[in-house]
Amino acid sequence: MNNTHPDILALITTLKMAGLTTIILMLIGTPLAWYLAKMQSRAKVFIEALVALPLVLPPTVLGFYLLLVFSPQYLPGQLWQQATGQQLAFSFSAIVIGSVLYSLPFVVQPLQKAFEQLGDDLLEAAAMLGASAFDRFFTIVLPITKASFITAASLGFAHTVGEFGVVLMIGGNIPGETRVLSIALFDHVEAFDYAQAHIISISLVISSLVLLSLIYLLNRPSINKSLKSKRLSRG
Amino acid sequence: MAELITALDLNFTVQHDEFSLSINEKISLSGITGIYGHSGSGKSTLLKVIAGLEKQAQGKVSLNNDELLNSETNIFVAAQERNIGLVFQNSRLFPHLSVEENLRYGQKRNKNGVLQFSEIVELTQLENLLDKPVTQLSGGEQQRVALARAILAEPRLLLLDEPLSALDDKNKIVLLALLEKVKKTLNLPMLYVSHSLNEIQQLADKLLVISAGKVSHHGDIHEVIHQLTTNNEILHQTSLSLTVKEHLPEYGLTSLVLGEQQIFIACDHEPNTEKQVRCIIAAGDISITLHEPIESSIVNHLQGVITVLGKIGPPDGSKAQMLITVNCSGQDFFVTITTWSAKRLSLTLGQKLFIQFKANAVRSLR
Repeated sequence: MNNTHPDILALITTLKMAGLTTIILMLIGTPLAWYLAKMQSRAKVFIEALVALPLVLPPTVLGFYLLLVFSPQYLPGQLWQQATGQQLAFSFSAIVIGSVLYSLPFVVQPLQKAFEQLGDDLLEAAAMLGASAFDRFFTIVLPITKASFITAASLGFAHTVGEFGVVLMIGGNIPGETRVLSIALFDHVEAFDYAQAHIISISLVISSLVLLSLIYLLNRPSINKSLKSKRLSRG
Repeated sequence: MAELITALDLNFTVQHDEFSLSINEKISLSGITGIYGHSGSGKSTLLKVIAGLEKQAQGKVSLNNDELLNSETNIFVAAQERNIGLVFQNSRLFPHLSVEENLRYGQKRNKNGVLQFSEIVELTQLENLLDKPVTQLSGGEQQRVALARAILAEPRLLLLDEPLSALDDKNKIVLLALLEKVKKTLNLPMLYVSHSLNEIQQLADKLLVISAGKVSHHGDIHEVIHQLTTNNEILHQTSLSLTVKEHLPEYGLTSLVLGEQQIFIACDHEPNTEKQVRCIIAAGDISITLHEPIESSIVNHLQGVITVLGKIGPPDGSKAQMLITVNCSGQDFFVTITTWSAKRLSLTLGQKLFIQFKANAVRSLR
């Protein structure tokens, strides 16, 4: 590790954080989005607002509260410390938990929209043909909303790579643990090392552009045409 | 599917905000049972309860003594466990699968495995469509795939919810003929919901009428249609199932047997002679004459006896019409004429007379 360039180390930490966050987000976000899509009660609006909160809040606000909650003075931080023997604040786990909350809307919203669009018609038809709920999810929901799953995962990943405020508040700047690319960039700028800052910045711009282009390519009408023309024919 | 189904036992209520359905009925299942009612009467909800797609139902539902719902003992068999098929108004084909994959979806999940895939594909004439994406199918083709898909799951009971309502007349006729063929080929009881009495009359042997969330009639198709006619609940009509006597292609006519008399209907193609032809005649299309109209262009004239004379229409008198039941060779025909005509002809109960109607007045969906 010692001879690894600090920026490469930051890149590895970033990818590890974003990858793990994306996996957790898909596992949590899918049932949450499904629940919201099927929910009829008035509490839906409140939960939707709660999920969307990170879109409007300054990341530092979220980071500030998480910092408090993660500290050993509060119960979640205490429990974590008892269970793992380590402090939660300023750890890799802390920035992953923070990222999950911070990127939640980017995963839940496209999935929820896709589930709402899918509706119950095809699922009822599949049930009448003997498919269980689990079966229906893997044979009907997943293949039809595949593009939305890829969009959700990509947006969740890209957004986590790009986060700064939350990590800064709850992660600190520990190389190999919590020092991610956006923090490394900030360090270079503070040290007037603009050449290194450029390298990180331009890499992030290009890789984000490529990823977003892929998402939009995937969501082009031609790919979703089959489902939409199906809807039209139902008139 | 080999299992012989005796009965569907229904005793439940469904209560929504502004709608309630309360059914207490035993339906013995064989062939096709039609379920007729106006939109909003609750007929589709009834199918959903039987299918297991309506979770608000309270009460009991059992199929062949197999409890599907019992809210007292908290039994609710999930839709996928009921082995009941449902063909929807919109075909609900899976857009990401081909025609063949759609058909196999139900077949793969069915435990009986008696039916041959190729046999059903042939029956529903889908041989040339198997590789096609379902999104490229016409409305009629989509419904044929939906029907075949439901059949291949080998349900104990097949529910059809307005399966023809999204189709044009030409496709309706094709699918009706197909359903007729399915009914004859497979031992599969069906419940056929429609707001079109014509459709049901073509297919069903029994008819259940739902009105304002309750069963109002249940019985033999022709008897129920005649009850609805005498109750003034539908357009007054005579519903018939008659055997073909002979086809006269040079005149485009087919004659049907009615006791010792016969009825001519307009028919371009020769009907299958073994087959009964189902047809209806609107009461307004039949007229009454006291003497046999030998020199008339109207081809159908039947001798009969008046069995019922009743007034219908607005009670102000002037516009009132008479609904007259005339029995010809054991078959009741319903005739509406003005009270003025009835008075002029001095019609009385038990009077012998002739009814007449054009061949074109006899309507059949085929």
